[in-house]
Amino acid sequence: MAKPTLGVFGLTGCAGDQLVILNCEDELLELTELVDIKDFLMASSGNDTSCQLDVALVDGAVLSQRDEDMLKRIRERSRLLVALGTCAVWGGVASLDRNQDRTRLLEDVYGEMGKKYDSLPARALHEVVNVDLSITGCPIEKDQLISAVASLLQGDPPLYPKYPVCTECRMREYNCLLIERGEICCGPLTVAGCQARCPGLNVPCVGCRGPADDANVESAMNMFGEKGIPREEIAAKLRTFAPAWGVNV
Amino acid sequence: MKVLRLPKERLDLFASVLQQFGEVHAPVEQNGKYAFRALSRWSDARLDYPRTILPPKKYFVPPKDTLFQYKEGLGYVPADLAADRRIILFGLHSCDIYGLNILDQVFSGKYDDPYYQARRKNVAIIGVDCIPDEHCFCHSMRADFVDKGFDLFFQDLGDRYLVMVGTALGDDMVLATGSLFEPVTPEDLAEYKQRSSAKRKAFKLHVEIRDLPEIFELEYDSSLWKQVGDRCLSCGACSMVCPTCYCFDVADDVDLGARSGSRSRTWDSCLFSTHAMVAGGENFREGRASRVKFRYYHKQRGFVAEYGRPSCVGCGRCISACPVNIDISQVISQLRGIENATA
Ligand code: SF4
Ligand code: SF4
Ligand code: SF4
Ligand code: SF4
Repeated sequence: MAKPTLGVFGLTGCAGDQLVILNCEDELLELTELVDIKDFLMASSGNDTSCQLDVALVDGAVLSQRDEDMLKRIRERSRLLVALGTCAVWGGVASLDRNQDRTRLLEDVYGEMGKKYDSLPARALHEVVNVDLSITGCPIEKDQLISAVASLLQGDPPLYPKYPVCTECRMREYNCLLIERGEICCGPLTVAGCQARCPGLNVPCVGCRGPADDANVESAMNMFGEKGIPREEIAAKLRTFAPAWGVNV
Repeated sequence: MKVLRLPKERLDLFASVLQQFGEVHAPVEQNGKYAFRALSRWSDARLDYPRTILPPKKYFVPPKDTLFQYKEGLGYVPADLAADRRIILFGLHSCDIYGLNILDQVFSGKYDDPYYQARRKNVAIIGVDCIPDEHCFCHSMRADFVDKGFDLFFQDLGDRYLVMVGTALGDDMVLATGSLFEPVTPEDLAEYKQRSSAKRKAFKLHVEIRDLPEIFELEYDSSLWKQVGDRCLSCGACSMVCPTCYCFDVADDVDLGARSGSRSRTWDSCLFSTHAMVAGGENFREGRASRVKFRYYHKQRGFVAEYGRPSCVGCGRCISACPVNIDISQVISQLRGIENATA
């Protein structure tokens, strides 16, 4: 049986999720034995840019017409399309001010020239095309990527936790920075999978993985409010990674 | 039950003798909170701690527990339970020992769980008494005193301990020290009785559990559940830290190429949105309120019907771990229609 074909693509973003793939040093050889990597610009200069793909991994968000065209083209070429990283899954950092006047934002940053640039308000991949699987994280977790590939090769979707970071934080018996130190920790609203990396290093979670399933934003806002933290401050923090929290100020 | 006394200045000596029975674990300080850890030196042990972040269940049902592995050529490789090292868990409070006795009913009752039982055999339990803080209500849950589930139990009598010997292993530990332990005196007993009744009066939190299953039954549709559900963040903290929350989820980790892999169970919680989801996407407890309610019903009503007592032991961990201050004692009082049961 022919090996499944794979493509890895980057839209607008820091390309950190593609880098995570390349950083899987212990697994890369085995990976290339199992799948045929056809198109991966970051890793190779000899790519087949038009072949059909079984799986496309796409990082970055849609921020320009060029991104949009490229994504639609990838969708046409691929049987499965996987959103890789918080930008692709939720919109990410670039979607922070996506509801503001684009022309004015472009002028603020680039001056007169800004008007000419190809720039659209940031969208997550699923807001443009159908997405078959999402692997969130800023950047993605290596073990979640490997388990996705391993499961997809068996024809199954991978199983990821949908509960919040707090659960992993408690499983690891870390101190709670929110309760014990009154810090703004986004752990109760953020989806687990990182093994509560930041609280484990004594740093509150900033929500880089995006919303947990059924995140109770309203109650968390009230809780922070009772601690004297202004709603706008929490809202700004949550907006950094995902508009999907739907925070109302 | 054999009862002895140990002058406190001899505790260090006893601890050094203990090492021949296994690796000694005890509560140690961790940024102002406490956690059971392997001791590198006995002086790190904090026997006057209020409560640990995680209960001792982590030793018997670890957060993630590999049940078996499979490898090409080898087939199934069961977890090597016999190889688990011997551990002496020093410093459990009554509520936590009671919590383990409750887990025994679940994991060693109708359905024997070999993983749990192997560890239970490998871990010795030494209890110490404690002073209740503002979140403790083990007295209400009848878990402030245990008569089984420990090898030794140390009652603090000021400059000495009254030591209860619970098992033959506990007796071996005592005997291994030569003449470190002494016979109790009438003064010891008087002191013990005085302290025991003082402790009973020291509880600030009270929960009435008589007829509670009936109240729960009657208040199934109470609007309180929606209020609590609106506040709950489904963060799962209360379940993780609970000594008697034992739900787990079983899943396979497949290695690349599927030539090897493992099956493990991971702590789960009825508070999670996916807990009651079944194939096809149907979810029996989709709303947060119904999930919060379920946790209370299982502990205070369902468990009573099945095992004759609530599974809650009143350790107070869920109260101190909840980011939005959902307090089991207050929920119960509100359900009973008593606004403030805190005496
Ligand atoms: S530190 Fe943050 S992630 Fe950890 S339990 Fe507290 S709120 Fe949750
Ligand atoms: S703890 Fe929060 S900010 Fe840190 S890696 Fe995890 S999700 Fe991201
Ligand atoms: S329900 Fe709360 S108080 Fe009761 S045993 Fe569990 S953590 Fe302790
Ligand atoms: S700790 Fe509190 S907020 Fe978190 S799941 Fe439990 S009741 Fe809900």
